[in-house]
Amino acid sequence: MKEINFEHKMGAHCESGTITSLLNHNGLGITEPMVFGLAGNIFFGYFESSNFPFPTFIVRNRPGSIRKNLAKNIGVKFYTKNFRSREKGEKILDELISNEIVTAAQVDFYYMDYMPEWQRAHINVHFVNVIGRNEKDYMLSDSYYSKKSTLSVSKLTKARFAGGFMAPKGFLFYPVFIPDEIDYERAIFKGIKKAAYNMTKLPVPFVGVKGIRKFARKVTDWPKIARDIDHLSHEIMKINILLEDQGTGGAGFRYLYATFLQQAADKLNNDQLNGMSQRMMEIGDSWRNISYFAAKIGKNRDLGPERLKELSEMINDMADQELPFFQELYKIVK
Amino acid sequence: MKEKDFYVDFKPQQLIYYVEKDDASYGPLLSGSYLSKHYLDDYYEKMEKLEKSLREQLNNGEISPVYYFMILQSYGEGDLASRAGVSKRKLKQHFHIKYFAKLRLSQLKKYAEAFDVPVAAMFHLMITRNEDQGKITVEQVETKNSFFSIARLAIKTK
Repeated sequence: MKEINFEHKMGAHCESGTITSLLNHNGLGITEPMVFGLAGNIFFGYFESSNFPFPTFIVRNRPGSIRKNLAKNIGVKFYTKNFRSREKGEKILDELISNEIVTAAQVDFYYMDYMPEWQRAHINVHFVNVIGRNEKDYMLSDSYYSKKSTLSVSKLTKARFAGGFMAPKGFLFYPVFIPDEIDYERAIFKGIKKAAYNMTKLPVPFVGVKGIRKFARKVTDWPKIARDIDHLSHEIMKINILLEDQGTGGAGFRYLYATFLQQAADKLNNDQLNGMSQRMMEIGDSWRNISYFAAKIGKNRDLGPERLKELSEMINDMADQELPFFQELYKIVK
Repeated sequence: MKEKDFYVDFKPQQLIYYVEKDDASYGPLLSGSYLSKHYLDDYYEKMEKLEKSLREQLNNGEISPVYYFMILQSYGEGDLASRAGVSKRKLKQHFHIKYFAKLRLSQLKKYAEAFDVPVAAMFHLMITRNEDQGKITVEQVETKNSFFSIARLAIKTK
């Protein structure tokens, strides 16, 4: 039996929460909103792909990018490793635990059997910190769970080596170098610039503000591709889950980003950023209204063309709000 | 959103959200899920209807177990095909009994692994009578033989 002394903390999001806890454990005092913001991870993308059971959207950048962007931006270095062999992947993880190294693992969320059954789905991009092992179980610190948890050795191995879209391939990481000094002013500006660029300037028709508009246009077509009214209701209600409950901190990461902007403003004594953080909070409130609306019409099966048009207009209004917001933010840090 | 307007009392699903505190600072709040608190019954009702409808189609030979589990576990076709090591075209064929009947056992095992069920579950569903629901538990026990599993039934004690 081996359990590393590790302070478990819940986080809004699995990747930023896992990284924040890892960095805190290794001596860097940093908050989750700061990790998220410095990595420039606020985003929007609308996807129609056979890798998903239905059209969907994401509200943060590609999984793994928080670690990569943060490392580039503040100079932290991570050990990272993929594995072809399950046996080797398990052996290396066990060695790391024996050496008292808390290690983050990428897993298929479906296997996290300590989570409520209704939350569990096959998503290959969940992250947990592995903090111990005994003969049968691994001990985990999962940002989505209120306390430390255990998962059988066979389940964690299955979760680490699930195949499919964005297969984890046993991926592990932990920090190996943290700089003594971090130039926060430069890092904050760089993180904001990246986010604002992604939201307004990426020349791809389904990401950033253009992605929000695409979502607004496409949602009215959803009845044509749903199996029946219950399926449509389920997918419409999933808008609420994707914005609120799938590890976003609420309002599709907009509240988390507002908190980052406020913390950045405090750090740099910058009134402009403080004003922008308040605006982002208000934008978040509008996204949350969409969440409530989607839940209500989904539950009531009130999903006729008029109601979906109303939903579409609400989403389009978010594009109208976010375009000038991120354009202004870009000008502030340029 | 202000903390007092946000908080939801729902212990089974607690998450961290970021809210505006009384002193105008923004910070984390541990709160229940609004959706689960208000709409979880609706979710279960829909899932139950879906499972019954799929089971009926399965009983009638209209769909294969591959399709049954894929829909229940909300898999995208591309994702499942990749996990099972087949093309999307092949996967779609395997939705039908005619092609399902031609599957090799090794291929079936890959599907079973993707669905996290024993291979036996691809041929056999275990359900309880309505009046016994909640009284009996079924535990699937894996063995060292990956083609063989044991279903252990137990009567739930209080």
